[in-house]
Amino acid sequence: MSLPPFMLLRPRRLDEAVVRLADYGPEAMIVAGGTDVVPNLRAGLFSPRALVDIKGIGELGGIRFDPRSGLELGALTTLTAIAESSVVQEHYRVLAEAAGTVASPVLRNMGTLGGNLCLETRCLWYNQSTVWRKACGFCLKKDGTVCHVAPGGERCWAVWSGDTAAALMTLDAEIEIASPRGRRRMPLTEFYKNDGMDRIRLGRDEILSGVRVPARLAGYRGSYQKLRIRSAIDYPLAGVAVAMQLENGICRDVRLGLTAVNPAPLLVREVGELLRGQRFSPEAVEAAAHAVIRTGKPLKTSVSTPEYRRDMLRVFARRALTRLWSSNGGH
Amino acid sequence: MANFSIVGQRLPMVDGPDKVTGRGLYTDDLALPGMLVGKILHSPHAHACIRRIDTSRAEALPGVKAVVTGRDFPNRYGILPIGHDETAFAVDKVRYIGDNVAGVAAVSEEGARQALELIEVDYERLPAYFDPEETMKAESNWIHDEKPHNIEKEYHHQFGNVEQGLAEADLVVSERFACSEVTHAALEPHSTLAHYDPATDRLTVWSSTQVPYYLHLTLANVLGMPKEKIRVIKPLIGGGFGGKSEVIPVEVEAAVLSRQAALPVKITYTREEVFYAHRGRPIQIIELTIGAKRDGRLTGVKARIVQDGGAYCGYGPVTLLYSGALLGAMYDIQNVQFDGYRVLTNKPACGAMRGHGTVNTRFAFESLLDRVACELGIDPAEIRLRNQLQPPCITVNQLRVTSYGYPECIRQVVEKSGWGEKRGKLPYGKGVGIAGSHYVSGAANSIIRSEMPHSTVNLRVEDDATVTLLTGASEIGQGSDTIQLQLVAEELGVRPDRIKLVAADTERTPIDLGSYSSRVTFMAGNACLAAARNLRKQLFEAVARVWGVSADQLEARDDRVCAQNGSGKVMSFEQAVAAARQQFGTLEATGSYAPPAEARGGKFKGAGVGPSPAYSYSAQVAEVSVDTETGQVSVERITVAHDCGRAINPMTVEGQVEGSVWMGLGQAVQEEMIWNQGRLMNPSLLEYKSASTLESPEIVPILVESVDPEGPLGAKEAGEGSLAAAIPAVANAIYDAVGVRITSTPISAEKILKALRERQKPQARGNGGRR
Amino acid sequence: MTAEPITLRVNGQHFEVTVPPNRLLLDVLREDLRLTGSKRGCDDSSCGCCTVLADGVPMLSCVMLAASYQDAEIATIEGVAENGRLHPLQEGFCVEGGAQCGFCTPGIILVAKALLERNPNPTRQEIAEALSGNLCRCTGYTQIYASVEHAIRKLQEAPVGSGKA
Repeated sequence: MSLPPFMLLRPRRLDEAVVRLADYGPEAMIVAGGTDVVPNLRAGLFSPRALVDIKGIGELGGIRFDPRSGLELGALTTLTAIAESSVVQEHYRVLAEAAGTVASPVLRNMGTLGGNLCLETRCLWYNQSTVWRKACGFCLKKDGTVCHVAPGGERCWAVWSGDTAAALMTLDAEIEIASPRGRRRMPLTEFYKNDGMDRIRLGRDEILSGVRVPARLAGYRGSYQKLRIRSAIDYPLAGVAVAMQLENGICRDVRLGLTAVNPAPLLVREVGELLRGQRFSPEAVEAAAHAVIRTGKPLKTSVSTPEYRRDMLRVFARRALTRLWSSNGGH
Repeated sequence: MANFSIVGQRLPMVDGPDKVTGRGLYTDDLALPGMLVGKILHSPHAHACIRRIDTSRAEALPGVKAVVTGRDFPNRYGILPIGHDETAFAVDKVRYIGDNVAGVAAVSEEGARQALELIEVDYERLPAYFDPEETMKAESNWIHDEKPHNIEKEYHHQFGNVEQGLAEADLVVSERFACSEVTHAALEPHSTLAHYDPATDRLTVWSSTQVPYYLHLTLANVLGMPKEKIRVIKPLIGGGFGGKSEVIPVEVEAAVLSRQAALPVKITYTREEVFYAHRGRPIQIIELTIGAKRDGRLTGVKARIVQDGGAYCGYGPVTLLYSGALLGAMYDIQNVQFDGYRVLTNKPACGAMRGHGTVNTRFAFESLLDRVACELGIDPAEIRLRNQLQPPCITVNQLRVTSYGYPECIRQVVEKSGWGEKRGKLPYGKGVGIAGSHYVSGAANSIIRSEMPHSTVNLRVEDDATVTLLTGASEIGQGSDTIQLQLVAEELGVRPDRIKLVAADTERTPIDLGSYSSRVTFMAGNACLAAARNLRKQLFEAVARVWGVSADQLEARDDRVCAQNGSGKVMSFEQAVAAARQQFGTLEATGSYAPPAEARGGKFKGAGVGPSPAYSYSAQVAEVSVDTETGQVSVERITVAHDCGRAINPMTVEGQVEGSVWMGLGQAVQEEMIWNQGRLMNPSLLEYKSASTLESPEIVPILVESVDPEGPLGAKEAGEGSLAAAIPAVANAIYDAVGVRITSTPISAEKILKALRERQKPQARGNGGRR
Repeated sequence: MTAEPITLRVNGQHFEVTVPPNRLLLDVLREDLRLTGSKRGCDDSSCGCCTVLADGVPMLSCVMLAASYQDAEIATIEGVAENGRLHPLQEGFCVEGGAQCGFCTPGIILVAKALLERNPNPTRQEIAEALSGNLCRCTGYTQIYASVEHAIRKLQEAPVGSGKA
């Protein structure tokens, strides 16, 4: 199956790329590794006039770590590079684990961090061919008026299905966004709109250029737990990321992020409030797990049922917290 | 032990070098000058009348060379003579989402796609049927007018007296099993390249088919062309598993488009279209009852089976009959009842998939037998041995069993898996389970009943003393070309590389019915042996004359002919060929195989399906661990013993056995076609969960050689029989691990978790399970 | 959208083709260069049959826009044998049964090649992880592992390019 027609632009510099994006406005799309954009183009989900391939922009690569300023990741850093980076493995465990579970090795070789953070939302009624979608009258998210997941509603429940975002949220990551007006930074938690239709706060002339993780979270214990039917290739059906700082068994700091159950990756802030200053106890873990399933709201968007995915959120939260808190593991 | 030189060797597959270098050509790799791209318009409705089709705008589009609809080629076809209910494109009515409405051939893919969008179709929607039990209650708007209540076919078989058998039992257990639909998912999407040449009025078709012979017949019928004007060639095939074992719409459609355009047309399915073409294993509901004496002897088995066949007949009645015929036939059970219904629904047609018809009933039977064993306090391995057949014998449903390595398979897997030390003794969450299965070595009765041989092989010795092996058999990745070559080399006593194989080309090779029902090793293999023996006879006659000895004193081995009379006379194969040429001129031989009359089964309605010249047997022990919080089951190891009669090539036999077990595991725990109102929700390899390396367990294959008296050098089938047992072995291991029995497939994490929670409820009874 | 000339370097050879920008590398390889060893098995980048190496890294050519990979050194299955001599991996897939229908084989051999270049002596688990994005429907993977392990042994005896026979 061939792709719809488009122009391909291959800027070599970031400032050139954002100008090109500005030129084409809403008719332009960014492509890097292509693992999300190209299959979606093939399915007829996008029809851009111009595709801006940013792979050739040298300044968007690289992993840099400084004990004082923390970790800087260029948007084009591949998921393989992150998963295999000794710096990331040592200091930001939860990110290394999350990156290492994305799809499959061959897809991680292509997929970039920026792409993983900007993934299109997913739904079984949306990620289908044009012919398939046409046969059911399309859907709210694309070319139609009805949401097949929650009929009667006005909202699109397509699910945010990336892995690294939840991990980076637990690490207080900031993203850097470039545009013709310069660069701005934003906490990753503010990047997502929790709307299946319109997922991220990224202007049409903007590029997510990099990610910064603060130095003070270096060394946090970390765990990423992921539900999928197949142990490779699949997108997550639910994901839980936890980063935790312990001191003599007492939880000094903890963050828990969720993914693949809502239209955005979400930080469950209540978990920090519940657990900070506490010693490990099954009751504390249970209270946190309960907060998790109040935040995670899976619907019938995937091949697995909402009930099971919600159950697994609880199990994963329990497991990740227990693993990091009650033992020497996770570091 | 027979003293073979080539048979029994782990000979690399003859087409290996082509496959590992990328040189080998599959259908979609072929291109012809002026070739058009074909595309198909599929129905968006599950059930609708076609009021009107207007193709004029599509035809007017530049670059469009042909547009074809149902009325252009209305001749009906189907793999079974009793099931001709398909046409190249729908005539008047569509019957599933994805049904074939029209075809376009254009100079570019984009042009063909645009042309499809310009075809206007007026549909009048009809009530549609999706549930197999509900569809049987339909009073009107039947999917095919001639099939009342949407029942394609029903069979009612009673052997012995089941009610009496169950009355005599000390324990009677019943259960309802439900199996989801699974599909072949061969990695090569179906593809056909058709070239109709108006100058010669000839059609040549290259197609991803397991059955060139049936494709040839069908094309002649649909196009109304004489057979001799059509040539079908099978290139390399990227996996079949039954999905290419009947004529698939794309094959007919490429041909009619080429006929219309008078240019070559290639159509390669998208992956989504492969799911619409489907022909996989149907949804099946099985109500099963087994009776047993206290000592574990089975007194009767009764099954009511409903199969959801989708919208067309396909192999349907055969699938259904296999479910009944092989239900009890691997054990000595004198009372068997089978009530089977093949029903129509508005979904893609089901058909033959590896283990055809036998898999889901085996899951049900072996699961329930495990329960019988547990309730009677008998080791599940032992209860199977206590019900073994005593071959040679004829089963109660008239199947002739000539060799029976099943008891040996059980003994081997019990020993090699550590069954005795593990069963019931592993920590909670870990368990082992055993199960068996069996399968035909080809159907003794051909699809189109006739006395024609099922396989014929021709051998021709060339001037350079190479041997050309002409066979109609279809290599689909299972290694049948290599097996045939090994058998001929063995029998002629020549180096394997002396033999050149020409296969599956209807213009050049003799008729072979195709690669289905695990028939090729047995049938084409026997034809190979017959041909090689005929050729050897000529060689020996010539050599005997040169040496002045008797031909029966000669032996061919290691590329030489030797006299076995103490004279020490030796002649190279080349010299022997030269001698034979002197005497006979050309040196050619033919051999064929037809199953013997005694193997063809009984006379009752439906008796034609199930009989085989020989049956393979398999026993397996699965070791699993269950995560009791997530319900996720991980299969850690499968120890499998397969009675293949004789391993002509142990490497390819092991490959077939491992592949079968693995495919069974996919159905056991993760594969499933997910439907919503006739709409397939997962028509992709991303969402249809064929296992990756990471959840694929260690498989330990053991080959049992029972040496069948009629098999080629004793060989039987290897490619399907081990699939079915994998599913109940896993189900039984889950019971051993956590004490719950899951009676539907796939045995998903969610189902296990739910069952564990049910059991924890205070009112739930702990039904013999652990803890 | 107009076709433009692009230059690709495939298996050490330069090719100039004129293709529209939406053309995938897989299609250029198969249709323009007639290198049909790279296969199309799916339409959603999930099967791995189209895997090629780009600068030595396994990637899916069904995701790669041809025009975007003009700077890369592309390797396909057709370039794995050297001077008509099968690579030990190719030999392994023949003698240990790793290739049944052969449709996944090109992609799997290329991934295994990249693995062995990084890690000449991987464990079975490491092989499984490296190949986890490449589906095989025939073998159940067991004989694929044996095939790769055959190559590992062969390469330890006589590394490719060592000049030893």
